[in-house]
Amino acid sequence: MLDLWYWIADMSNSKIVALLLFSTTFVGILVYVFTGKKRSERLESYRYIPFQDDEDEQPNREDENRS
Amino acid sequence: MAQAATNASSHAGAAAVPSEQYNYEIVKKFAIMALVWGVLGMGVGTYIASQLAFPFLNFDIPQITFGRFRPVHTTLVIFGFGGNALFATSYYVVQRTCQTRLYGDSLATFTFWGWNLSIALGVITYMMGYTQGREYAEFVWPIDILITVTWVAYFWVFLQTLLRRSQPHIYVANWFYMSFILATAILHIFNNLQVPVSLFSLESYSLFSGVQDAMTQWWYGHNAVGFFLTAAFLGMMYYFVPKQAGRPIYSYRLSIVHFWALVFLYMWVGAHHLHWTALPDWVSTLAAAFSILLLLPSWGGMINGIMTLSGAWDKLRTDPIMLFLITALSFYGMSTFEGPMMSLKSVNALSHYTDWTVGHVHSGALGWVAMITFGSLYHLIPRLWNARLYSIRLVYVHFFLATIGIVLYITAMWVAGIGQGLMLRAFDEYGNLAYTFIESVVFLHRPYVVRALGGGLFLVGILIMSYNIFMTITAARREAARVEAKIAAKMAGMSS
Amino acid sequence: MKHETIETNAGLLIILTLAVISIGGLVEIVPLFYISDTVEEVDGVRPYTPLEQRGRDIYIREGCYACHSQMIRPFRDEMLRYGHYSLAAESQYDHPFQWGSKRTGPDLARVGGKYSNEWQVQHLIDPQSVVPESIMPGYPWLAENDLRYSDIEARLRALRRVGVPYSLTDEEYEANVERFGEEVARWLDINRAEENLVAQAQSGNFDGDPSRITEMDALVAYLQVLGTMVDFTQYDEGYFVEFR
Repeated sequence: MLDLWYWIADMSNSKIVALLLFSTTFVGILVYVFTGKKRSERLESYRYIPFQDDEDEQPNREDENRS
Repeated sequence: MAQAATNASSHAGAAAVPSEQYNYEIVKKFAIMALVWGVLGMGVGTYIASQLAFPFLNFDIPQITFGRFRPVHTTLVIFGFGGNALFATSYYVVQRTCQTRLYGDSLATFTFWGWNLSIALGVITYMMGYTQGREYAEFVWPIDILITVTWVAYFWVFLQTLLRRSQPHIYVANWFYMSFILATAILHIFNNLQVPVSLFSLESYSLFSGVQDAMTQWWYGHNAVGFFLTAAFLGMMYYFVPKQAGRPIYSYRLSIVHFWALVFLYMWVGAHHLHWTALPDWVSTLAAAFSILLLLPSWGGMINGIMTLSGAWDKLRTDPIMLFLITALSFYGMSTFEGPMMSLKSVNALSHYTDWTVGHVHSGALGWVAMITFGSLYHLIPRLWNARLYSIRLVYVHFFLATIGIVLYITAMWVAGIGQGLMLRAFDEYGNLAYTFIESVVFLHRPYVVRALGGGLFLVGILIMSYNIFMTITAARREAARVEAKIAAKMAGMSS
Repeated sequence: MKHETIETNAGLLIILTLAVISIGGLVEIVPLFYISDTVEEVDGVRPYTPLEQRGRDIYIREGCYACHSQMIRPFRDEMLRYGHYSLAAESQYDHPFQWGSKRTGPDLARVGGKYSNEWQVQHLIDPQSVVPESIMPGYPWLAENDLRYSDIEARLRALRRVGVPYSLTDEEYEANVERFGEEVARWLDINRAEENLVAQAQSGNFDGDPSRITEMDALVAYLQVLGTMVDFTQYDEGYFVEFR
């Protein structure tokens, strides 16, 4: 375990460490955002915010549900 | 569009309501100044393009020689036209998506005067010969301070409006606007660290020198593109494309991913402006790698915008404003493909220092930034003044002039850049240079003429737009005065 | 954590955005100040004399960087056309750097000594008179305007503050003697700035008019020193590659 920490702290491994860090974060965000039917539906519901002001008509939600 | 316009004008009777609910006055001011600076900036641009084709146009007048006039052009179009359009749309979008009035009327008015005064003073001082000599950051130090103060006020107005929202969620357009405000603040401050010659001198020397200064400047320079000219205009896109199309954005989830990826990746890529220079290789290699990665979030944004129209493509046939917005996104996609390609070291060896770079910038600046702004302003202005656009046909004319202008511009610059790059690296059979530098300059003459022509068409386009907008506003004012007079007459009749 | 937490909390959105946008700049810029390999150790590179510095100020004022680069890349054609590729050390006293980004005209990093003073003056006043196809604007006013140099001390002081080794005290002067030799150290003495400027303009007579010190004197003095400080015959080619 300690060896692992030494390896991470070694500056010559910084490229791999950074790559692992950034790509896992990125994949994590992807997985979070695109999995789970409920979560997807919830997130997509915020698309309609620009139409919630009073002046313009609301677009029809029924025929636009592509989740 | 016709339908949307009638929709807006049907509210003419209730004109008082939105102007109280929202602060439209400040949006109007910024929108008009965007057009004013846009006409001036593109006029100067066409002029300096003509100077390169016909150098006698410098007339030996110091104030208008190419070297002093070029920052006048870039400042007017980026900060004048682009900046005012961003202030206008961000103040509009944040109010509409938060369903609350803009915070701080007088502070917002201060941002208007602070920003526009900076631009006016900036271009005057450049012509007088006062500059920091840093591309896109030529403002002398006192103006830098004025900009900083203005920017802090802008941040405060925007943040306080967000905090006062009646909508629980902050819409994605506002994330982009906020990231643009934050990034621009950081970039502006660190790239303008200067020591003035004296308290009463406009001149100053940069804190950093040589290679560190170059890196700081291009970290700034590229992120001026990345945040000022891209992230912020994506914010514009995320509101105006769905509104104009009358359909919500294609995918909210895609916007989450592409927002975080974009703001993260952009800050790494500035050093691709310094390939093969004295900058250490590890930095420019890193920048090249991130530039390639940047293609993904860029195209994520483009897809999200264009696909919003999926299933309603017929709107492109009937709505010229939609044409502006979708063409803008197409140019965005094209230049964000071209950019990563040019950041490859082998391509860059040819393209750097040539007009290919200038062409690339303009396919982004004219194709993406200006087109999305035109589309947004055509959507915005009738709503601000409660009026119909004076002429839809003139919008079409503008669209085609602008598009033909851009195509001429970009192709001329491809020919110029690639041609010159190839000439300068050509050898004859004895291993000597095949061409002198001046021979490549002679070759550039014809592309330069075509480029000036393309720029000229684009300028005529924005002039037509300004006329259209001017007539729209005049008609709206006349209508408002008429209604007011009617009411006054009625009141007078009632009281007598 | 839900993404909604960020979307509904402006403060959190700001903090996270700031964190995400800071990483790139920090990783790429900060090490440049600490990694010693970034700028080579080279003999001969010195700060500009007062007159050359005023010339540089004019170079910036006229926006020369919009069309001329000062950064030669390590390619065969550039070496044949302009000379040895530029070193980081050669712009270490350049506040701001003027590497440029566009060559509408040729690179100027090593233009020093390539043309005579007379050619430079004639070319600056009317470029087409020496290069008929040139598209460069003329700068006749440089020969007409007297050089303003009453604030030269203040300028060098400002440059000293940002790290250029102009000397103000005796100790600094001695350090410069050690570092650059006595002749150069004298040029870099802020207390003698005005006197040095006048002396160089008169002995150099860059604009061909010994009776006046014009902006042309300063600009030509600057152009003539560009790229001439390092003696490349002293170094083995492999030496510079280590720093790339």
